[in-house]
Amino acid sequence: MAVETPFKDLFPPLESEKELKRWKHVFQLLNEPEPKIGHTPRTDVWKKNKSVLWYYPAKQKKYGIPLFFVYSLFNKPYILDIAPKASVIEGLTNRGYDVYLLDWGTPGYEDKNMGLDTYIQKYLRTAVKRAIRHSGAEEITLVGYCLGGTIASIYASIAEEPIKNLIVATVPIDFTAFVGPDKWAEGLRNGDFHVDRLIDVYGNLPSSYVEAMFRAVSAPIYFSHYTMLLNRANDPRYVDKWRRMNKWTTDQVPFAGEAFRQLTNDLFKGNKLVKGELMIGNKNADLKNIKSNLFVISSSNDNLVLEQQSLPIMDLVASEDKTYKLVEAGHVSLALTGLFAVVVDEWASTRSNPL
Amino acid sequence: MSTKRPYDPYDSFKRYSEMWEKQINDFLFLLSNNNEFVKMSKVGTEAHSRYLEAFKKNQEALAGVLNIPTKNDLANVASLTIQTEEKIESLEAHIWDLQDSVKSQSKEIETVVEVSKEIIKLTKQLKTELVKTKKELADSKDLQSELQEIKFELNKLNNLKDEIEILKSHVEKDNQKEPDLTGAGSTK
Repeated sequence: MAVETPFKDLFPPLESEKELKRWKHVFQLLNEPEPKIGHTPRTDVWKKNKSVLWYYPAKQKKYGIPLFFVYSLFNKPYILDIAPKASVIEGLTNRGYDVYLLDWGTPGYEDKNMGLDTYIQKYLRTAVKRAIRHSGAEEITLVGYCLGGTIASIYASIAEEPIKNLIVATVPIDFTAFVGPDKWAEGLRNGDFHVDRLIDVYGNLPSSYVEAMFRAVSAPIYFSHYTMLLNRANDPRYVDKWRRMNKWTTDQVPFAGEAFRQLTNDLFKGNKLVKGELMIGNKNADLKNIKSNLFVISSSNDNLVLEQQSLPIMDLVASEDKTYKLVEAGHVSLALTGLFAVVVDEWASTRSNPL
Repeated sequence: MSTKRPYDPYDSFKRYSEMWEKQINDFLFLLSNNNEFVKMSKVGTEAHSRYLEAFKKNQEALAGVLNIPTKNDLANVASLTIQTEEKIESLEAHIWDLQDSVKSQSKEIETVVEVSKEIIKLTKQLKTELVKTKKELADSKDLQSELQEIKFELNKLNNLKDEIEILKSHVEKDNQKEPDLTGAGSTK
C-alpha cells in the first residue's frame, strides 16, 4: 500500500545547490573588503592640485585623433573603467583610440572658491592643451558624460584649441525640465529656497549631501537593489557587478562650493547656457560658437537627466555635422555595461582620421 | 521529469520590494511636492546654517586663543601651494614656447645647411668645369698657332706656286721663240 505525503505538491521544491551558492555569496559580500577597481594600463600626463590627466594608450593605434573624456563633478570617473570587459575606456583602446581622461579629483576645503570658470579655464583647457601636445595630434575629440558633457559643451563654446568632434552623453543643457518634484524646482527658481548660505557655511557641498540630493530627486527610499542582489546572489558575475556598482554609487565626492553656486544660480535658475548668457571669465559661453562635429547621446531609461534636457543642444550649436541618438539604457548603465564605447566608436571611427 | 518551476521565494520578494519602494517613493513625492515643504526646507537649512555659523565662529575664537591653526588657515596654506603649482605650470608653458622656437630655428638652420651643401657642391662642379674649360682654351690656343703656322706655310706655298707659274710662263715663252729662229736661218 502506497503512503501519500499530505501537501506534497503545495510548495514547489527548493534548489538546495542554488540556495547554498546564494547564501555563500551573500556572506562573502558582507565579510569581504570592497572590490578593488583595476584599471586599463595608463600613465599620468599632468597633475594639478587634485586633478590628474590620465593617458590610456591604444592597443593598436588606428586613429589619429585621440579621445578626451570629461566626467561629471558629482562622481568619480572610474565608472568609465569599472571592470575588465565592461570598461568603456578599455573598449575604446581595444578599438584603436588613444584615450585621455581628466580626473577632477576630490575637492578639499581649500577648493571652495573653485567655480565652473576655474574648472574650465585653469584645468580643462590646460589638460586639453597637454593632451594635444602629448599625443602630437593636431585635433582632439571631446567626450563629456553627464555634467561632464555640460562642462565640455561650455568649454567647446569658448575654446581656442582645435576640437574636431564633440560627443556628449546624458547631458543636461536645458534646465527647465527637472526630474524631481516640480514644486522644488519652482521654489528654487522663485528664491523660496536657496543654497548660498549653506555653501558659505560648508565651503564645499559635502559628499553625503550630494548623495542625499540625488536620492531625493530620484528615489528617496531605495532598497530594491538589495532584494535584487538577494534574488540573483547565486550568479557570481552579477554579484561582482553589483559590488562594483554599489561601491561607485556610494563613493560620492564633495562638490566645490563656488561651482555648485554657479550650477544652481546660473544654470538651474537662470538657464543661462540655453539663453547664451553664461559668462566664463570674460568670455561669453554661447553654444552657437560650437562648430565642431557634434554627437549627442540620450538614454531612454535615464532617471536623472531627461531627454528634453539634452535635445536643445542640437538646435543651439552652429555645427554642420550633428547626430542625435537615443540609446536603450539607463543614466549609469550606458557606461557600466561598456555600451558607450560601442556607440562612440560607431560615430567617431569615420571622424577620427583613420590611419 | 517534473515540469514545475523550482520554488524561488526571492523572486517574489524582489517584486514586492520594488512595488513597496515605488509606492513609498510616490507617497513621499506627493507629500513633499508642495510649497509648504519647500518653505519648511528653507527654514530648516537657514536654522542649520545659523547654528553652524555660530559654531564656526566660536571655534575660530577658541583656536585664536589657543594659538592653533583652523581649517581656514590650512586652506590658505594649501591655496598658496596651488598658486605655486600654477606659477610652475606657466613657467613650463614658457619653456614649451622656447622649446618650440628652438625647434623651429634648428629646423631653419638645417634647411640653410642643406642649401649651403648644395651651393658648395655646385661651386665644386663649376670649379672643375672651369679647369676643364681653361685646359680646352689652352688647347685651342695651341691649335690656333698651329693653324697660323699652317696658314703661313700655305702662303709660302702659294708664293712658290706663283713663282713656279711665272717660271713656267717664262719657259713657255722661251720655247715659242726658239722654233722661229731655226726656220728663219734655213730660208736664208
